[in-house]
Amino acid sequence: MKCFSRYLPYIFRPPSAILSSSCHAEADIISTVEFNHTGELLATGDKGGRVVIFQREQESKHQPHRRGEYNVYSTFQSHEPEFDYLKSLEIEEKINKIRWLPQQNAAYFLLSTNDKTVKLWKVSERDKRPEGYNLKDEDGRLRDPSMITMLRVPVLRPMDLMVEATPRRVFANAHTYHINSISVNSDYETYMSADDLRINLWNFEITNQSFNIVDIKPANMEELTEVITAAEFHPHHCNTFVYSSSKGTIRLCDMRTSALCDRHAKFFEEPEDPSNRSFFSEIISSISDVKFSHSGRYIMTRDYLTVKVWDLNMENRPIETYQVHDYLRSKLCSLYENDCIFDKFECVWNGSDSVIMTGSYNNFFRMFDRNTKRDVTLEASRENSKPRAILKPRKVCVGGKRRKDEISVDSLDFSKKILHTAWHPSENIIAVAATNNLYIFQDKVN
Amino acid sequence: MEFKLEAHRIVSISLGKIYSARGQRGGLKLHKNLLVSLVLRSARQVYLSEPGCPPEPPHAACGPPEEEPPPCTTVWAAGEPPPPPQDEAARGGPRLPGADCEGPRSRRCCCGCSCCCAAGGGEANPADCATAGAAAPPPPHCPRKRSAGERGQAGSPVKKPRREVEDPPPPPPGEQEDMDTGNVASLISIFGSSFSGLLSKEPKGRRRAPLDGSETAPAEAAAEPGQICCDEPVLRTLNPWSTAIVAF
Repeated sequence: MKCFSRYLPYIFRPPSAILSSSCHAEADIISTVEFNHTGELLATGDKGGRVVIFQREQESKHQPHRRGEYNVYSTFQSHEPEFDYLKSLEIEEKINKIRWLPQQNAAYFLLSTNDKTVKLWKVSERDKRPEGYNLKDEDGRLRDPSMITMLRVPVLRPMDLMVEATPRRVFANAHTYHINSISVNSDYETYMSADDLRINLWNFEITNQSFNIVDIKPANMEELTEVITAAEFHPHHCNTFVYSSSKGTIRLCDMRTSALCDRHAKFFEEPEDPSNRSFFSEIISSISDVKFSHSGRYIMTRDYLTVKVWDLNMENRPIETYQVHDYLRSKLCSLYENDCIFDKFECVWNGSDSVIMTGSYNNFFRMFDRNTKRDVTLEASRENSKPRAILKPRKVCVGGKRRKDEISVDSLDFSKKILHTAWHPSENIIAVAATNNLYIFQDKVN
Repeated sequence: MEFKLEAHRIVSISLGKIYSARGQRGGLKLHKNLLVSLVLRSARQVYLSEPGCPPEPPHAACGPPEEEPPPCTTVWAAGEPPPPPQDEAARGGPRLPGADCEGPRSRRCCCGCSCCCAAGGGEANPADCATAGAAAPPPPHCPRKRSAGERGQAGSPVKKPRREVEDPPPPPPGEQEDMDTGNVASLISIFGSSFSGLLSKEPKGRRRAPLDGSETAPAEAAAEPGQICCDEPVLRTLNPWSTAIVAF
C-alpha cells in the first residue's frame, strides 16, 4: 500500500480558485487545460466549445500577495456544433485539445480542436483605436461626401483594453475519425493532428492540404485491433514524434525515413503480467496520454491504473511505473459498468521533469517525485481551497480499519474525476480541472 | 462457475453499451467500441470455455450456469447417450464447447448451445464449433446451428456477430467502405419486432427461432438492453434468451 509523504519539495497553496457557476451545465465541463510556453497564459477549453484564457497578473509592489494570480483574459467561442449531412452525424463542439504556439510577436496564437476541425486563433490586445475618419463619423455612419470641406488624418487614441480572438486558419475535412491530439512541431511551421486511425501533418499556412504520415486503418475494418490514442512531437527534434495505442504500445517515428511513417523506428511495449489478466486487461492497458519530457529524453504514458516513464533508449519496458489508484483493480467490473473505465486521464511533467502529476477520482490528483520516489495525493475541492491554505495530503484506505481523515474506496465519488491538469513550464504552479471548476495552486516557498 | 456468471453479465453489459453507443451525440466512438468489443469477445470466450453445462430444461437454452450436471444429456436425449459426467471433468479447463453436446444430435445441445448460439447459428461446419478458442475438434455432429454463427470464424474472431459488434464501432463515417451502419440499424429494427415473443420466456424451444435472422440473438439483446441487462435474476435462471446474449 502506498504511503504518501509530505516531503515533496513544495507545498501547494491556492491563492485563488477560479470557479464557475455552482450549478453546472454540461457545456461548462472543462475538457482541456494548457499553459503557454512562458506560463503567462493559461487556456481552458470546455464541452460547449468555448475557450477561456487566463492571464497571470504582473507583480506589483502595492499588492505583493496578489502576484501570480490568474484572471480571465479572453473568452471566445471556438467551435460550434455542426451536423454532417452526408453521414448524418452530429459533430460535437467539445474542445478536445488546445496547444499554444510560441510567441513571436505581440499577439498570441493557439490551436484548438474538436473532433473534426482544428482552428488557429490569434489573440491580440487592442488598446488604441483610430479616430477622425473622413468618410464616416464616430458612429460609423457614412458621411455625405459633398459635405466634407477638409481632410484630416485619423489618429490613434487610447481606449480600454480589449482582447480579441480571431480565427486565422481553419483546418477542416481531413479527419474521418475523431481527433484526439494535436501537437506543434519544434520547427513552428508545422503541426500534426491525430485521430483514431490516422495522423496528418499540416503547415500552418496551408489549410486545404495536409500530409498523411501515419495510417493504421486495416483494409478490412473487421480486423481492427488497435487505435491511436495520443500523439506528440519531440520537443527538439522536428523529425521525431511518438504515438500511443489502445494496446498499450508506443511507437516512435522518424519522418525522414519515409513519407508514410507506418513503420516505426522504435516500439515501446511492456510485456503483460499474466497474473493480472482479467476481462478488462485490454481496456486498462490502453494508453490515454503520452507526453515527452521537457528534456526530450523520456516519455511518460498514462493508462487506467498507472503512469509509466520510458527512456527513449529502452524499448522493452518502462524505467519507472507509478500506481495511481491500484485499489481500483478489484473494482474493474463496476467501473466498466458505469463507464468510468473508459475515462482518459492525462499526465504532465513539471518544468524540470522531476515530478509528474496525474488525476484520479473523488477530485484527487497525484504527484510523484521521480527522484525521491515519494508521492502525494491531493484534493481539489472548495473546502480546502481557502486562499493561502495548505493542501492537505489525502489517503485512500483500501481495507481494514479506516483511520480518521482517510477515505474508503467505496466512498469515492466517481463522478468527480480529474482528467486534465497542467503544470507551469518553469514555476510550481498547477492548474487542475475538476468537472466545471478550475483550480490553480501555487507553491509559495517561504 | 463464477467466471461464467461474470462472463455472462459482462456480455450483457457490453451489448447494452454497444447498442446505446449508436445514439450517442458526436457519432460512434471507435476507440470505446473497440474496447467494448474486445471485452465482449473475452467474456464470450470464457463463457464458452467454462466447463459445466448449464441446466437445460426443455425451454431453456444455455442458461447461466447451475450446479446440476449437464442436463443437456437429460433434456436432449436425442438418441445418443449423453456424455458421461466425467467427460466434463476431464475436459476441465481447455474449452471444448462442442464436446459437451456430443450426445445430442439434435440442434439443441446445452453447452453446445452455448457455442451454437454464441456462434450465432449458421453454417454446418463442425470445425467451427470448436473455434471458440477450443483446440479440440468438435464432435462431428455439431449442429448446423452452431456453425452458422461461426461462419468466418476461422482466422478471425467470430465474424458474424462481430459484424454486429464491429458495425457500430468502425463505421468509417462517410468513407467508401463496406461497412454501413444502415445494416445494423435495420437489423435491430427487425429484431425489435420479434422482441415480444422472445422475451415472453415461453420455451421457444427451438433455438432455431432466434437464429432466424442469424443476428437476432445479439441484436435483440442489443436492442433491448434495458430488458435483458437488467433482467439479471431472470437471466441467471434459465432464461432461454441468455443464450441469445451468449450467442453474441
